[in-house]
Amino acid sequence: MFSKKKIEAPLNEFDQVIVGNSLGKDAWKRLKKNKMAVIGMVVVIVYSLLAAFAMFLPIYPYDQIILDHQHLRPTFNKTAGDLMMETKLEDLYFKAWRSGSLVVTEEQSTQIKTWIADNKTNTVWNFCYAEGERQRAAGTFTFSAADQKTIDRLQSRIETEFLISVEKLFWTDPVTGKTKNLEKMDYEDILPVYASITGLEPKDVEAQTLTEIRSQVLNTIKETSPDLTDEEYASSLEMELTAMGEKGIHTIGKSNLIGKIQTTVTRTSERTLKQEIKDGSAEFPINKTVNLSDNLTAEIQASKKHDRHYYLGTDYSGRDMLSRIIYGGQVSIAIGLVGTLTSVLIGIVLGALAGYMGGKVDFFLMRLVDIMYGLPYMLLVIICMAIFGRNIMNLFIALALVSWLTVARMVRGQVMSLKNSEYVEAARSMGASTGRIIFRHMVPNSLSVIIVYSTLRVPAFIMQESFLSFLGLGVQAPYASWGSLVGDAVNGMTLYPWKLIFPALAMTIFLFAMNFFGDGLRDAFDPQSKNQL
Amino acid sequence: MTKYIVNRLLGIIPTLLIIITLSFFIVRVAPGGPFATERNLPEVVKRNIEAKYHMDEPMIQQYGRYMFDILRGDLGPSFKYKDYDVNYYIANSLPKSIVLGSWAMLIALVFGISAGIIAAVKQNTWIDYASMGIAVIGISVPLFVIAPVLQLIFAMKLQWLPTSGWYTTGEGYKTIILPAVSLSFAYFANIARLTRSSMLDTLRSDYIRTAKAKGMKNSTIIFKHAMKGAMLPVISYLGPAFAGIITGSIVVEQIFRVPGLGKFFVQSSFNRDYTLIVGVVIVYSLILVFMNFLVDIVYAQLDPRITYK
Repeated sequence: MFSKKKIEAPLNEFDQVIVGNSLGKDAWKRLKKNKMAVIGMVVVIVYSLLAAFAMFLPIYPYDQIILDHQHLRPTFNKTAGDLMMETKLEDLYFKAWRSGSLVVTEEQSTQIKTWIADNKTNTVWNFCYAEGERQRAAGTFTFSAADQKTIDRLQSRIETEFLISVEKLFWTDPVTGKTKNLEKMDYEDILPVYASITGLEPKDVEAQTLTEIRSQVLNTIKETSPDLTDEEYASSLEMELTAMGEKGIHTIGKSNLIGKIQTTVTRTSERTLKQEIKDGSAEFPINKTVNLSDNLTAEIQASKKHDRHYYLGTDYSGRDMLSRIIYGGQVSIAIGLVGTLTSVLIGIVLGALAGYMGGKVDFFLMRLVDIMYGLPYMLLVIICMAIFGRNIMNLFIALALVSWLTVARMVRGQVMSLKNSEYVEAARSMGASTGRIIFRHMVPNSLSVIIVYSTLRVPAFIMQESFLSFLGLGVQAPYASWGSLVGDAVNGMTLYPWKLIFPALAMTIFLFAMNFFGDGLRDAFDPQSKNQL
Repeated sequence: MTKYIVNRLLGIIPTLLIIITLSFFIVRVAPGGPFATERNLPEVVKRNIEAKYHMDEPMIQQYGRYMFDILRGDLGPSFKYKDYDVNYYIANSLPKSIVLGSWAMLIALVFGISAGIIAAVKQNTWIDYASMGIAVIGISVPLFVIAPVLQLIFAMKLQWLPTSGWYTTGEGYKTIILPAVSLSFAYFANIARLTRSSMLDTLRSDYIRTAKAKGMKNSTIIFKHAMKGAMLPVISYLGPAFAGIITGSIVVEQIFRVPGLGKFFVQSSFNRDYTLIVGVVIVYSLILVFMNFLVDIVYAQLDPRITYK
């Protein structure tokens, strides 16, 4: 009687199968026709992939400070060493012109002076460099002995200096003879390892590590909330340590110990490498295994420090702009997505409650929304960020708490219009609970509107985050976001325009793409809305 | 109408109360305080300072005192800049911010509405595409990118305009142009897009067709008949636009070194200058609330279909 019946496909009068078309399918069809929206979608996907897989990209670490590489300009074919040499030569040629040893014509001299008066430092340097190189090649100009020595010293530094990174550390247990990766060992097991290479007792090492952790934690507390009294600091330190628990303390201790072991490895291998370079036997890049003791081996990687290519230049600490922009994008996009999601969720819950319950709940929630609309809430966010500490978490909470208003209103309207529909009636008559009706029946039915609105919220969220980071109230160094990168670049933008232009461009392209994609999505889901804002 | 205005004015009071209370307590609940950096002071001196600013009293009493002072129009002494009180600082810097904000709003309105109308009338021509293209740029590019880029191009490379400063400090009225233009850009863009879409809708409506059928001049139709209806969405956008211009002015004043209220605000938040923070928030909120009120009145005047009870 209840045998499974094969569901027959609906047929039209010509016996052709009628394929049902869902709203999503229909919208996708319309979206595909909108060229700008598709381009926007592709760009957004590319950005998201780049941000998500930033750690696997072959780029330099975004927080590695190399002071020698301060403010290097973007280039495609020159290494950092070439640029360092160029900068040095520019400086020397300019000094030579000022002292009179680099002879230029009267006209050129006046020209240089006008440039200096106009603050066109870059033009002056470029000119001096070109003129100096020409004269040196022609043999009419030679550097003084002191200058030549400076150049030679720089040249030898560029050729010989290197960076070592410790990739992996292995420990062979003397008792069992098993070899383990240090990263995968526990804190308690690493203690004797460190003790064995320093010759200390494991007990002393543990005490020392604990003291270090305490001072580390105290420092972070001092950074996030300055201006406390000593007593308050002491009590918040204890609170923080209790909150971290043994597990948290061990995690920090482990990374501290591994860091120390890595430093030891680096120091030892530096010595041997320097010797090798002197002998001329070193060939970069180097990958090798070093035996620190009988039981401790390390895999190290060494590369020439000044052989790096900075395609988008570097910032004031010599950090690679390319990787900072990618990692900054990661932070910005993540805050944009997660923040939008959170605020939309808050909005859905409150809006659905207000719409479904009606009466007093509705009245109070909507008065709250009205009042919050009238508030200059960005000002309150700024105050909160300045006073409660500037970090990503606070930023995210503060923004999410003020951005749910429009969603709440929208969902309320949707729920109110769906409240009396037949399927809700049916669900209610079958005894479904309020929560089930709201979240299983009504919210999914208004989801398309919510999704469209959310995609348009993401760029707004990113803009707000960047706005705060620009003011120095958001993401703090060494982390970056597009806003903080632009904010850092504003001072000295005539000298180092690349610091401003590339992050600004990266951000603008993303916001453009996101806006086009959101507009396209809205038009696709609701064709009548075309031409509306 | 009068009843509506009175009601609306009464509705402002709870909003202001909430703002003042919120900002008063937010700044005070956080650990630390305006005098915490002078930690090395002897205990007696510290107590004296706190007594001077009534910081030793219970929070509720401070709050009551503050509210009472505000009613008399006194925003209290600044905790950080000891020479003058908050009223003096606000009276000094507010006019600059108002001038800047008004210019920005004016530019946004005039250019936004004209661009929107032209784009709607010449729909699907190059003028339409060009103005809407600029508008999309205005919406997508954040203010703190536009401002330094304009500064880089027009002040530093071309040297047509001064890089920073304010006309009262000697560089002349040219100093207003760059900050006002960059501040207005996003609002210009939104207003242009709104005007265009609502103008297109209005131009397709029946009463415009009737006017055309009666043989009216095109310009009369656009400016006399269509404009009034098409302006409604633009006017309701003005409320959020004012709020945006207020927050935007904080960034613009920082980039162009305008000695206005916005610069004070960020500084005082970092300094935890309680009275100055709350004072600036009150002033900003007053402006915003008043502007929203004005917008509502204008809206009611323009649209006869809306009856207010």
